[in-house]
Amino acid sequence: MTHLSPSEFVEFAEGTLDARRTAHVHSCTECRTAATNLQDVMRRAADDVEGGVPEPSPLFWDHLSARVRHAVANEQVGGAMWWLAPLRPFAPVAAALVILVLVSGTMVMRHTEPPAPVEVAAVGSGTAVHAEPGMDVDATLDPANREVWEVLTAAAADLELEDAHAVGLSVQPSAIDRAVQRLNADELNELGRLLQSELKRSGN
Amino acid sequence: MPTRAWEWTARVEPGCKVTVTNPTDAELVAAVVAGNRDAFDGIVARHRRHVYQLCYRFVGNHEDASDLTQDVFIRAFKSLRTYKGDAALGTWLYRIAVNVSLNKVSVKSSKAEPLDALLRTNDLRVVADAESASDAVLRHERAGQVRAAIARLPKKQRATLILRMYHELPHEQIAGILGSSVGAVKANFFHALNNLKKLLS
Repeated sequence: MTHLSPSEFVEFAEGTLDARRTAHVHSCTECRTAATNLQDVMRRAADDVEGGVPEPSPLFWDHLSARVRHAVANEQVGGAMWWLAPLRPFAPVAAALVILVLVSGTMVMRHTEPPAPVEVAAVGSGTAVHAEPGMDVDATLDPANREVWEVLTAAAADLELEDAHAVGLSVQPSAIDRAVQRLNADELNELGRLLQSELKRSGN
Repeated sequence: MPTRAWEWTARVEPGCKVTVTNPTDAELVAAVVAGNRDAFDGIVARHRRHVYQLCYRFVGNHEDASDLTQDVFIRAFKSLRTYKGDAALGTWLYRIAVNVSLNKVSVKSSKAEPLDALLRTNDLRVVADAESASDAVLRHERAGQVRAAIARLPKKQRATLILRMYHELPHEQIAGILGSSVGAVKANFFHALNNLKKLLS
């Protein structure tokens, strides 16, 4: 039987893992040790549950409400294009990223041969994830490969723009202008749609 | 803290007035969008404590947590039209709070509350629990080590761990806040705990 995936370790630690997989933990020294370590660190982190956030003065809450009330006194709820305002400083960066995606997509579409599937080998497990361009990998993975995909998504989740810049991935402002000027009407519409979608997703 | 029942009179059609008492979040949002600014006080009063506690977990001091909480509600007010009600208002506010807090900690290193301040705030609790002074110091030292280690985790792992461990949110809600799948949230939580263990050892 395969060892527990990261998700299953969490489910075991929280007592929601199914009986069959739980039985594996009890029979597998490696998984049992890893699960015990995970529970130990959860207990350690839980030590800080109560003392971590000191209760502010009772007067603080009314003061906070008054500050918010004062701050929004002259603000409008919504308005034309108001939602772009908080993200306006990041617009060049967002535009650069979207353009990179669009340009890459255009290059792929112009290629006469269909793109080859991507194969990602899982170190040590002998399994592999096959990904066709555009396919929803998360939804189609079998349980054995899901662990590999979770590791990949977890590793990529914290990739920061600064990190990308540090390894030489950057776009000069003039390059963005030139790229935007080359977009046709459909591509401009797609650019707008992606930007709006990203703004909504970010919750701003 | 005493709870306050929020109510106001809404004009639904000419000559007809309806008084709304203890409204739902959706009713408060609708009222604010319709122009009733007092209704936003109700939203703030209802959610300010959780938002403040979440912000505090990220920045580790009252001053910054207070500023961030104010910022969260101002952003929420400005963006309220985008709230469609497909997630709970609390989840939506948490999402803003996580974004605002992560932006804050990325531009400014965490300025954690000094141990003395934490001890002062817990003096009464210490007495009530009959806990010895040395035990209290040890407990706070251990908690401080945990907080310092959490502050060094990658952003998404940090947010996942805080939301799961200290706000006890279900994985599904965390996925909604962070824009991830449930599987990715669990994997992030697993890696956060493993990294935390390494940092603490």
